[in-house]
Amino acid sequence: MQTKNLDILNQFNILYLEDDEDLLRHTTDILEDFVNTIYSVKTSKEALNVLLNNKIDIIISDILLKDENGIDFLKLIQNEHHINIPTILTTAHTDTKYLLDAIKLKVENYIIKPIKIKELLDTLHDVLLPQVQKKELKRNENIIKTISHITDSKQVEIVKLIINNLDNNNIYEGSYTDIMNEVNISKPTLIKLFKELASKDILVKTQHKTYRFNEEALSTI
Amino acid sequence: MKLQKLLNYLDTLNFELKTKFLIFIISAGMFTIMMLSLISTFSIKYDFDKLFEKRTSLFVKLEDIKDAYKVNIQDTLIEIENKSITFNESKEVLILGEQLIYENWTEYKKVTIDKEIPLFYVSDFIKKFLSKNVGYRKDQILKTNIIQNIDKKMALINNILTNIKHSQNKENFSQLYLEINAINIYITSLINYDLSLAINEKRDTQNVFNIIIIISVISIILVFLFSIILSILLINNFKALHNDLELNVQKKTKELKELNRSLEKRILQVVKNNRKKDIIMFQQARFASLGEMLNNIAHQWRQPLGSISMIVQSFQTKNSLGKLTDKYIEEKTEDALLLAHNMSNTLDDFKNFFSPDKTKEEFYIIDCIKHAFELSKYILEKENIQFKIEYSKDIKTHNFYNELSHVFLNLITNSKDALSTNVANNDKIIKVIVREYKGYIHINFIDNGGGIPLGIAPKIFEPYYTTKYKSAGTGIGLYMSKQIVEKHMDGSIIQKNFQHKINKKETFECSLFTIKIPINNIKEIDAN
Repeated sequence: MQTKNLDILNQFNILYLEDDEDLLRHTTDILEDFVNTIYSVKTSKEALNVLLNNKIDIIISDILLKDENGIDFLKLIQNEHHINIPTILTTAHTDTKYLLDAIKLKVENYIIKPIKIKELLDTLHDVLLPQVQKKELKRNENIIKTISHITDSKQVEIVKLIINNLDNNNIYEGSYTDIMNEVNISKPTLIKLFKELASKDILVKTQHKTYRFNEEALSTI
Repeated sequence: MKLQKLLNYLDTLNFELKTKFLIFIISAGMFTIMMLSLISTFSIKYDFDKLFEKRTSLFVKLEDIKDAYKVNIQDTLIEIENKSITFNESKEVLILGEQLIYENWTEYKKVTIDKEIPLFYVSDFIKKFLSKNVGYRKDQILKTNIIQNIDKKMALINNILTNIKHSQNKENFSQLYLEINAINIYITSLINYDLSLAINEKRDTQNVFNIIIIISVISIILVFLFSIILSILLINNFKALHNDLELNVQKKTKELKELNRSLEKRILQVVKNNRKKDIIMFQQARFASLGEMLNNIAHQWRQPLGSISMIVQSFQTKNSLGKLTDKYIEEKTEDALLLAHNMSNTLDDFKNFFSPDKTKEEFYIIDCIKHAFELSKYILEKENIQFKIEYSKDIKTHNFYNELSHVFLNLITNSKDALSTNVANNDKIIKVIVREYKGYIHINFIDNGGGIPLGIAPKIFEPYYTTKYKSAGTGIGLYMSKQIVEKHMDGSIIQKNFQHKINKKETFECSLFTIKIPINNIKEIDAN
């Protein structure tokens, strides 16, 4: 069933706005297994209260609420409170009127009732994945930066240069002179680095001045 | 041939002319006959008069003269001769006789010669025209001659008499006798002549009479014939006219009968078509409310359906996470069953509502109204419309439950449409007031949707009249409501606009439908 790694959801907080008590309860029962915290509310007033007092990563809201409207609630928080949180709308209506409003409000997805839990979870995953990836990227960068500080920074710089100049086929074209023009490094040091990389199959020379970057080799180290 | 032509000509005259002609002929004929009979009567009277005056009196005079000569003169002279009387004694008698003769003679002459009777009468004119004038003239000459002779003789007798009176001579007596005899003969011939004249005149009169009779008879016959001919023509005309008319009437009657027959057929056809149409309309109205109800069912089912599907999915996800506990299954199954039960109830409600059951039943009117509101609950909630039902006591009625709730449902739908377009969100109210009055239930159905515009108010109960968009209304809801209330329940439904404090605070422009139905409906309706 799970083609996506839904484990990433467990670090997020969800605000769920739905006026049908039964549906609210049953859906919450399912979602709470996947996420960090789920705040289930029946009115926009409660929802606003939760929003202002907690860190919320994503909002799931029904469009047609008792005496009010999920779209109006979104407009309110975006325009008056300047809160921009990714939102998923659920509705029994397929009216284009709501759809157009939803697009204008940059809603992430529009789920037609009855809700398929897989669809909801997938959507949650898709919406939240970039945030996870962003976090990971940031972390990696930090790792590299930290490493470059504790090891030879020149070598790290050259690796960076090569990787940044790879074309679509992971091919790097350039001579030692080209690299030396960019980075202040002695030629013997450079040759030693290339040899080391070649011996580990990471950077293989295919032609004169042409090297292929072998990704698979990295994981076997 | 000519007669034939004339008849043909007469026949060609039109009816009015013929009639006029007939009247003219008859009146002219009558007039002629009357005139002729008058003329004959007058001429007869005239003849009598003339005979008496002209002839008889003359005869008397002439006879008098004769007598005078014979008695006064001759006898006196004879008595003188016989010496019975003297001359002197006889003188006076003679003079008297002479005077008598003279008087009579002058009178006679005056009558015969001077007094020519004027041709005053028409009969005289005819007589003169018809009688032989030549013979009459001759006789006139003869008469003149006789009169002259008598004059001469009279003069002679007078001379002799004068001589005798003077001389008292008896010698002249014998001569005088002779003369007297002669004059008497003349007078007699004059009498004869006058008589023959009278006979002539009588003959003339007879002729005139005959002619007049003939003319009269001819004219009578002619008038009679003409009348008969014209009458026959007229009768023929009448007959022709009558026949024509009869034929016409027969033709028209036949046409009318045929028309009647075809009309009957057509009426049957139209009635049949109308029934078909009514059935179709009933079905349409049914379908329309069915559609609306389906919408309601769909909405009322959507939520529990969502919940149930969520429960089912929760089993799957919990299971895949290994968190599916017995307690969880127990709990959720119970929830799901409850939801399913509610859904089933909803369905039953609508199913009952649309059952083709057309039997009357005992029920409380308030239940029926509440049922209709219950079925419309979803749309009323969606449009945020409140409703109130006011009644002093619940009334049990024997009626068509489903039909009545259709009517209420229709009114609710109409009110909902008016309220959702015309009224601000928090003031939408539908109020129903139920009262019992004189064996009737009065249901006042009020909404504050602004009332029905006066221009369209008279048309709302007409079929296919709708103010809504084509997709939204079929225009037969109120028509069918009226049909149901009036034809199936013997009731009435009317609409009014009025101002009403519907929520006891503000005054609104309201629309009021009043339904009046008998508590016990005795009317039966057939399956359609």
